[in-house]
Amino acid sequence: METLLPQMPEEQAHKPLAIVRLHKNAQLVLCCNTQASAWGIEPELSLSTALALCPDLLVLPRQLEQEQRHLQQLALVAYSFSPLVILYNDIGLWLEISGCHKLFKGYDTLLQDLEKRLRDQSITAINGIAQNPLAAQLLCQSSFQTQLPSSTAMQRNLLATDLTRLDTSHKQQQSFKQLGLNTLGDLFALPRSALSRRFDGQLMAIIQQLKSEKPFTATPFQPANIFHDVVQNPQGIFNKESLLFPMKGLLQRLCQYLTARQCHCLEIEWRFEPLIGEPQKMQMQLSGSQNNWSSLLTLSRLQLERLELPRSIEQISLYSEQFIEAPMGVFNLDLFGDQQSTQESCELIDRLNARLGIEALSQPILSEEYLPEQASTLGLPGVLSKSNIKDPSKAPQPLWLLTEPAPVQMRNQQLYWRQPLSIISGPERVCGNWWQSEQQRDYYLACDNKGARYWLFRETANQRWFVHGLFS
Amino acid sequence: MPNNNIAAVLTRTDTWRGRNQRSPRRTLSTGHRSLDLLLQGGWPVSSITELLPQQPGIGELSLLLPTLKYYADNNQLCVWLDPPYQPYAPALVGANIALNKLLLVRSKSHGEWLWAAEQSIRSGALLMAWTRQPSPRYADLRKLQLAAADSGNAAFLFSSPSKVLGSPSPVALRLELESLGVNQLLLTLHKMRGKAAGEKLALSLGEPWAQRTDLAMLPVDRHHGYLSNPILRLNG
Repeated sequence: METLLPQMPEEQAHKPLAIVRLHKNAQLVLCCNTQASAWGIEPELSLSTALALCPDLLVLPRQLEQEQRHLQQLALVAYSFSPLVILYNDIGLWLEISGCHKLFKGYDTLLQDLEKRLRDQSITAINGIAQNPLAAQLLCQSSFQTQLPSSTAMQRNLLATDLTRLDTSHKQQQSFKQLGLNTLGDLFALPRSALSRRFDGQLMAIIQQLKSEKPFTATPFQPANIFHDVVQNPQGIFNKESLLFPMKGLLQRLCQYLTARQCHCLEIEWRFEPLIGEPQKMQMQLSGSQNNWSSLLTLSRLQLERLELPRSIEQISLYSEQFIEAPMGVFNLDLFGDQQSTQESCELIDRLNARLGIEALSQPILSEEYLPEQASTLGLPGVLSKSNIKDPSKAPQPLWLLTEPAPVQMRNQQLYWRQPLSIISGPERVCGNWWQSEQQRDYYLACDNKGARYWLFRETANQRWFVHGLFS
Repeated sequence: MPNNNIAAVLTRTDTWRGRNQRSPRRTLSTGHRSLDLLLQGGWPVSSITELLPQQPGIGELSLLLPTLKYYADNNQLCVWLDPPYQPYAPALVGANIALNKLLLVRSKSHGEWLWAAEQSIRSGALLMAWTRQPSPRYADLRKLQLAAADSGNAAFLFSSPSKVLGSPSPVALRLELESLGVNQLLLTLHKMRGKAAGEKLALSLGEPWAQRTDLAMLPVDRHHGYLSNPILRLNG
């Protein structure tokens, strides 16, 4: 029920509500809220009876797919409490907590934290604690236990459990009744040979598992390889401000996922889907790795400002496929704080990128080329890349390079570019591209009357002069 | 009961607390001894510095190379916002500046320019910004000045003196740069906190090239494009 509830508008949340499932062509109530229970509606009631009891009842069909996705999210939450999480038949989770005693400073703290986390996610859960998974399932109570019971109490509770809670066939339940067995304790009291004569091997296996005589086998939960999550909003979202709240939720889940997988993401993609029409995509490249939902949200928000969105958005999805392992710097073990300034730089680049676009950012790159315009190019910024410092050239080189060499005029036998120039040193010959079109240039240093220095060259082929840079 | 608000105000560096308790001015050495003396320690950090070169190319970048290297060596980003030309990588590498610490940003509007400048200052980067047309207003400069005061970083603003000198500015330091000759700069102090304006300083950024060559004397053979007389290479 809680899977569907967040999508309900506020005013409908206080009305009686029931979720129905299809069972042999009949619609049965699966669960209902407290307002509906007040009308006398209870699980396993047929839909027509329920509607007769309460005409205002809101009825929603069960969405198995969404439930599964929700359970996966819960498994991620649980994964931060225990390394061994097992999904059970899409309705429950098993957590092995015996090894997590020290981390949480006691089981009670662990249980309290877990309950708080679940409450933050607006989920009401019930739990059972026992020495093996099956027993824990049987001991599930109607509320969330935050105190670890003693092992004798666990055993006592287990023995007092009603046999009807055992997941067995109807026929078997009948034979329990005929034998006068009511609780698990009664069943355990019988000798094994007597039990195996009366009941099939399946029950014997269950009994052995309950007594922890046989190990429980199941595949533990593993976080998926890519992250994909969706928030649906049937009413539609009409402005960008109201998009931020669901986006925040999605990013928080992404970060939970990243923490569980101990990695950082390098790229995320948003998809904003209207009811009709093509979804609008928004890709965000991150210069450094990140695992921090608030900074991701700030970046998304900046980039969102530049985006034209469809009028109404029904579904927001978040994808992330590129991850790297979390560096140790997360814990800031770095003594001199270098890590922090790198991270600040990465964040700055990401913010500028989000607001101004990647085309507004560049970084000078040095290449092994002869022609100056090829030796110094502009590329995409990457703070983490290593720069290669070679032996610097002895010849004086300008700090500014003109994007395009500017032709120099000749006035009265003097070079003229903005003002008269005179040569002060040179030449230095540069040849390049001889395999394509031969370029041979003689570079000179020149200065004007004011003392500004220029980098000129003359093409040897056609004797034309150009300004290529400024010494500054 | 201690008041948290007052404690927060007292920890700020720009709160005036009487003459004796004033925190010392934080500066960053310019790399030029005489300039450090003029500026009472160096470039002011936690403040904007306005540099007003008479024309581009007279040495305004060379003046900042030591500062640039200092920031790059400290693993901090150096943001070049709207530079007039492209920085030439071999020259920067020659000055031992790591290229991956440089970031060129091109803004498309005044709003973007101001936003990018403020973000860079607040993120602990060294900002070198060339002002766009029209020049930033007093309020914009004040915004940047406050950002610099909060972050404790040096930031440099390049403007043209003819457009700026008539108007007041909230920045802490305003220096006009003129060229006295090749590699020779004349700095005029137009504004500095704690010092009278008008002081001038001649600064040498390297060896002066005094000799000039007549175009007709160039050692290039017109027909072959070949260096016919290598002795004529001057200052080699």
